[in-house]
Amino acid sequence: MRPPGEVRVFAQYGEDVHEQADVVVVGSGPGGALVAKELAEAGKEVVLLEEGPPVTPQDYAWDGARSMTRTLREGGLRATRGYVMPTMQAICLGGGSLVNSAICVRAPEFALERWCTQFELPHTSLGHLNTHYEAVEKFLGIAPTPENVQGARNLLFKRGCDALGYSSEPIPRNVRGCRGSGECFTGCRSRAKQSMDISYVPAALRAGARVLTSVQIQQVISEGPKVRAVVGRVVAPFTGRPSYRVEVRAKLIVLSAGCMATPVLLQRSGNLANSSGQVGENLQFHPGVAIQGVFPERTDPQFGATQGYQSLHFLREGFKLETLWAPPGVLAVRTPGFGLDLKRRLAEIPCSATWDAISSCHFSLGTVRARRSGLDPALLWHLDERDVPILQRALWVLAEIFFAAGARKILPGVHGVAEEIHSLSEAEPLRAERLRPKDLVCGGNHVFSTARMHGDPRRGVVDEYGKCHDLENLWIADTSVFPQSPSVNPMLTCMALAHRTAHAIAERV
Amino acid sequence: MMQAMSLLALAFGTAAAYALSRIFLGYPRISSRPAALSRPELAVVAAAAETLFPPGGAIAVSGREAGIPSYVDRYVAAVPPRLRRLMRMLFFLVEHATVFFPAPGGLRGGGMRRFSSLSPEQRVAALAGWERSSLFPRRLVFTSLRAILTMGYMASPAVLRALGLAPREIATPVCEADLLYPRIGALPSSIALRVTDLTRPRDGTPLGPVGPLRADYAEEVRP
Repeated sequence: MRPPGEVRVFAQYGEDVHEQADVVVVGSGPGGALVAKELAEAGKEVVLLEEGPPVTPQDYAWDGARSMTRTLREGGLRATRGYVMPTMQAICLGGGSLVNSAICVRAPEFALERWCTQFELPHTSLGHLNTHYEAVEKFLGIAPTPENVQGARNLLFKRGCDALGYSSEPIPRNVRGCRGSGECFTGCRSRAKQSMDISYVPAALRAGARVLTSVQIQQVISEGPKVRAVVGRVVAPFTGRPSYRVEVRAKLIVLSAGCMATPVLLQRSGNLANSSGQVGENLQFHPGVAIQGVFPERTDPQFGATQGYQSLHFLREGFKLETLWAPPGVLAVRTPGFGLDLKRRLAEIPCSATWDAISSCHFSLGTVRARRSGLDPALLWHLDERDVPILQRALWVLAEIFFAAGARKILPGVHGVAEEIHSLSEAEPLRAERLRPKDLVCGGNHVFSTARMHGDPRRGVVDEYGKCHDLENLWIADTSVFPQSPSVNPMLTCMALAHRTAHAIAERV
Repeated sequence: MMQAMSLLALAFGTAAAYALSRIFLGYPRISSRPAALSRPELAVVAAAAETLFPPGGAIAVSGREAGIPSYVDRYVAAVPPRLRRLMRMLFFLVEHATVFFPAPGGLRGGGMRRFSSLSPEQRVAALAGWERSSLFPRRLVFTSLRAILTMGYMASPAVLRALGLAPREIATPVCEADLLYPRIGALPSSIALRVTDLTRPRDGTPLGPVGPLRADYAEEVRP
């Protein structure tokens, strides 16, 4: 075992940086942090690079907008073109795990079977991934959310599902000692969430990895069938102002920059690893729709696990239901109306609950392209008409659950439908009307498939272990390798695949 | 002929000067130097804040009292330049769209003035027109404006206290990572915590609406 590694932060850089390693990992989110830890423990000399800074509890901002400008790229205002939909990517040590709600759900067997058969991936069934899922679950202490920290807004969801005979269950999460502060999205002040910065990154350091933060990688340098280095700049936290040059030479490179940055990095590196033409293609989201319900009694929705309950009842129909809480300012942006009506509705938040549905939307595809400068991508994506009925059905089911749980009204947030609905019969337009994509207000949750795995090198960027078909020593470990939606929240599957990737690297290299 | 051309040019110049003055002049002076927004931009944000969140109603605090203009100013200053330009375009559009989508009153009744110069009733009518428009881009302008201003309103400690949503103090345990990372901008040598400071993970005792508020959201803090 190597001696413990070290973390370098922005204030420590005083000159150009030149490093060498067996393996360099670009990106410290769930994929990259895990690969760094596993390979360091396997005895490899590992350098882990992260563009953002480490964010400590003293640096957390409770206010939603302020938090977004600190922890998310483009100040949290990134959106797709084509169909305008907000989406997010983190920029901090630990990546999205610092600001997500810790949901860790295994992909269902039918989704992975579809991957196996449609994308020629014979070793990616649930049976093949089980050991990798188990390893991650054990390390992060993943367990169903206990009832004592559910809070009223989560338990009302269970009540509604029970009344209708829909299955529901506490969401498994990577937390230890959660107190139900509802602050997952702005950084867990209780230090309960096992985000990568407090779990896998420290473990990687213990095993000897070096972690360089505030380093933006701009290019992968290749020679023939091999990559040999990554180059970039030291960048200041928040402003991104570039300064010293960085070069890390390595025998093997792992890109874990995220589904929206990994393809940009490949495109900026001379359209690397793209003989298939699939780099930056197949952009898929889990578009989310949500409904706010108002109950007769106080729900104190700010208390309780951020997302504590879910229903997998409708997975085969293409959607998953969840409870939701977010910083009040972020949650309130969907509240309809203005003036005294808007204030009245905001005043009802303490008696409300918000539940959402995420949908697989297999027909809705897009592209990621590098812009003229910088690493922020140009995202073009369309919500396909054929996917709208799935989202519409999800909205109707949410309405059913709200009224079964005792809600006195719901705010569906759909153009052309009443702003407030007081009974299920009033909600009928959600079921009967033919809604168009632009009638819906969607959020772009979970992103996949922009460097997808495929058994056929002509149709995919990487093989099922994450190795690029075109290059001998370039690997990818983030959600860009998903061939399509996993039907549920992607973090655990991303980490299971990254675990397999790390072990494949350790065995082969 | 020359005289006619001169008169035409004069008339055109006068009209252009009038139009420009309607766009750029006549904005109220401001006492403190803003972080990012110009005087006209602050004026339109303030006007929209008062229209979206007027005084009275279910929450007593108005948009102006909640400090929305200064919040939006800081927010715009904090986002990257490309997004900053888009936000400024949004405010420009809101301010001057009433020329193309006049508020009630038309030219004679003042309905074609810039948004921040409209009467409160005309502002309400203008926003209602955007919110209920059948044109998606108009609705998008409205929802974007409302989203930014609502985040500002709901960031106000006074509003959050009124709703019972202000954050509570939480004792943050010390974990291994706290010995590794300094605060943003600081050197590792600034980390004062040692191994002996590590605390055991919390037992998961649920939080509730009891205990003191976080200091920056407590009563004495002015929005």
